Amino acid sequence: MSRFKTVERGIRVELTPEERMFLGDVLPLLAGVGATGEDPAADRLNVPVYLDDPDANAEWWRFMGEDLQAGRNADRAVFEKVVSGHGNSVVSFDEGNALLRVLNEARLALGARLGIDVESDHDHLSEDSRQVMDYLGWIQEELTAELMRAL
Amino acid sequence: MLAQTTPVIVPDTDEDVDIDRPWQVVVWNDPVNTMSYVVYVFRKLFGYDEIKATDLMLQVHHEGRAIVSDGPREKAELDCYRLHSHGLWATIEQ
Repeated sequence: MSRFKTVERGIRVELTPEERMFLGDVLPLLAGVGATGEDPAADRLNVPVYLDDPDANAEWWRFMGEDLQAGRNADRAVFEKVVSGHGNSVVSFDEGNALLRVLNEARLALGARLGIDVESDHDHLSEDSRQVMDYLGWIQEELTAELMRAL
Repeated sequence: MLAQTTPVIVPDTDEDVDIDRPWQVVVWNDPVNTMSYVVYVFRKLFGYDEIKATDLMLQVHHEGRAIVSDGPREKAELDCYRLHSHGLWATIEQ
């Protein structure tokens, strides 16, 4: 059964208690990105914009970096509200997009830490890691499909 | 009436071309982002129809990269910002 359904005022979110518990681990994961030295997740979430011009790249990040992080923090606040069960089970499309971005961000961070450099690397993950990536991928696909209908 | 002579300034041709040439926003392939998510982001951010968004996504997937928008530098930097906020790896080049 799909966890997301378009209704008159937005998207109804129906997560099981187990899913809420599991998704509750996403925000601590993202909060820890870049907190300890070298972190491939931080590298993936902060990729260079100008490949051949370090000065232009540094300038872009100086002007855009704070806004980018502020947007991510706002998305995570929506995610926390919905996943904790304290928010309305019907979210607006903007909030649905915030959920989608956080799910994607989590998969990018995890994928980088698990060393997924090419698509076939997914097949060589441990069973636990593969299950986590597969679940996040599945629920992201469900939400993407629902938001796509609203375009 | 005496014709006034003015000095002729010859522009630096190479520099002129660089100024006129649009900046391009490139999206790179990523082993984690799903195909449908990339199509969705292209449609949402740029208003592309499903066919164009899918073509661009497939170009990214098969060729490793695709130019998804272009224009003045300010627009390219903003487009790049919007793509990064959705987790896509976008770069700017001229």
